Amino acid sequence: MNAAIKLFMVIVIGVEISFIQSVPLNLCILAVSCCYLLIKRVSIKSLLYLIIYPIIPATGLLVSQLFYGIQGPIIGWVLFTRLFAYVWLGATFTMTTNIKDLAFTLEQNFRLPSKFAYGVLTAFNLVPRIITEVQTIRHASLMRGVTMQLWSPKLYFKAILAAINWSSDLSQAMISHGFVEDAPRTHVEKTTIRWSDFAIFAFWLILVQVPIFVF
Amino acid sequence: MTTVSVSHFTFTYQHRDQPVLKDVNLTFPDGKISIIAGPSGTGKSTLLKSIAGLYPEFANGDYTGAITIGNQNIKQIPATDFSGLISMMFQNPNQQFTMTNVYDEIQFALENRQLDPAIIPERIDDALKFVNITKLKHRDLAALSGGEKQKVALAIIIAMDSDIILLDEPFASLDRQSRADLLHQLTRLRDQKQKTIILVDHDLSGYEKVVDTFFYLAPGQYQIKQLTPKEVAALLVPFDNAELKAVSFPLPNAGDAADLVLDHCELKQNDTTLLTANQFKFLNNKVTLITGENGIGKSTLFKALTRLFKYQGVITYQQKDIQKIKKKKYLSHVALVFQDAEMQFVNITVEEELALSMQNAVHNHYSKDEINAMLKALQIDGREKQVVYTLSEGQKKKLQIIEMLIMGTDILLMDEPFKGLDINSLATVVEMLRTASQKFGQTIIIISHQLSGLETLFDYHIQFKNRQLAYKEQLL
Repeated sequence: MNAAIKLFMVIVIGVEISFIQSVPLNLCILAVSCCYLLIKRVSIKSLLYLIIYPIIPATGLLVSQLFYGIQGPIIGWVLFTRLFAYVWLGATFTMTTNIKDLAFTLEQNFRLPSKFAYGVLTAFNLVPRIITEVQTIRHASLMRGVTMQLWSPKLYFKAILAAINWSSDLSQAMISHGFVEDAPRTHVEKTTIRWSDFAIFAFWLILVQVPIFVF
Repeated sequence: MTTVSVSHFTFTYQHRDQPVLKDVNLTFPDGKISIIAGPSGTGKSTLLKSIAGLYPEFANGDYTGAITIGNQNIKQIPATDFSGLISMMFQNPNQQFTMTNVYDEIQFALENRQLDPAIIPERIDDALKFVNITKLKHRDLAALSGGEKQKVALAIIIAMDSDIILLDEPFASLDRQSRADLLHQLTRLRDQKQKTIILVDHDLSGYEKVVDTFFYLAPGQYQIKQLTPKEVAALLVPFDNAELKAVSFPLPNAGDAADLVLDHCELKQNDTTLLTANQFKFLNNKVTLITGENGIGKSTLFKALTRLFKYQGVITYQQKDIQKIKKKKYLSHVALVFQDAEMQFVNITVEEELALSMQNAVHNHYSKDEINAMLKALQIDGREKQVVYTLSEGQKKKLQIIEMLIMGTDILLMDEPFKGLDINSLATVVEMLRTASQKFGQTIIIISHQLSGLETLFDYHIQFKNRQLAYKEQLL
């Protein structure tokens, strides 16, 4: 499925479940997302993380609603399942879509300026470097007798400073490889939007409405 | 016509009194290989990036004068035509890629040049073949060594097929064999494809048979002049450095005390072994120099010694495995003066930086007055309220050295600490380091390419060569 349409679909469904208080709907979304991720052969480890990470905030929501909520326990369960539905729904996009495909389709099919498409892509590629940089900064400050915690503003001040330098390097790299803002480019990998993308989009959107009427 | 001419070119960086290049007039002939040599930090890269059209846009500075290609001023060439005309390979192999893997990066460049998608795959294959790196085609760029990255950068330039090729210290991270290979490819580009090639490097060795026109940028002169064959010959024997050749170091004795020891230690970077050391000692209370070719792994060794790089085997400090000492405690004994001075700064102003070092010093070797005298000797006094990031590169380096000396760690590792220091400051820093070693017993280990002016500083010399460390008597 086209990456941008998939993202749009996930957002639409996400917005919809924010307004509809239905435990069955959330569970259906969860189940379908889970099947989809299994079909796409996402690793079991990643799936476990998707269960573990939301547990604390979801339980927090549930407990506070059960004990202090004025709308009764059902809202507690709605919130509990909704949080999981959000996370799993999001995962159907993030864990099965290549950021490159998204950038390409946004550039080619949705007229996003190529500057943005490649800007986002390069920023994304920088993530591992940022992690190393943050480690080095913390290490360097230890040599001055200062422990920088992960929440220390100084750490981020320095990381941002480094990022500003990199952004200049990256722009120079892009320009030296012939990139010109707003100039036409050719594309080896042509991304297309087929009618089937819209059909799948419509299919799932309609399917999401079913539990609302059934239950 | 792709002759590149530079006329009345004067480049001035902001906050500098002197221009870095002053009224430079040069012509790089069409279809030839030209080289500009000269020490680092003198403005060679500035000229190259100006020719590439990246400066002044990406520099804190501007130039007067003109750069022309054929008869056209580069400022009048439309951006979309530029990459067909000129492409450039940067000094730092990590700074030139946008995408994650080799193939995507070349494809990105060719799409930018609006090449017909049907011929792009073939063009990519040809370029990779030309540089002999077909096996790297689908590799992740992050997993490549510095030398491999430079080869990929060259392949991209070949694929882009620009008329003029600019190369900024292209061989800095390459071993001799790859260097010879690439130089050969450059001559093929000149002879078979009539490219105009302009190279920048800090020394001329290895280029004599390949390069057609030699230029030289002498330090402190802000001028680039073309060399006569006689002058070239004179510059090609820079190793006839009598003072440096006369220097002789003792070799360590088996019983010499050493706190820092490599014990069956191996450093590897992406499948390439950089260093194997069965038992190697860094002697206590001495100033030791480490020399070795670019990219051989000297900085990586320092990173391993400060636990910034994962290695195989064991490194011990005072007979303890350094991985088993608490990080903060270990780093208060063994600290690194980073090549990039900014990395060392924690606070905002000069005053705060110095106060922090004094407050956290492991040993209080220096009084407030002595520190003020040090600042004065290096001419960075009176700048207490200045934000450290607004200091010039040289000033940052001086402040960094002072604040790391104040820390008073038992062992101080220094990675290229003399880069960008003028002759007078260099002598002052040498004096300070001698004091730290002789008076306070600090162990100082230094990586430096620059050797002149430092003859009196070092007690020992370690050569890093063929993946081995060895103490040597001779400097050259």
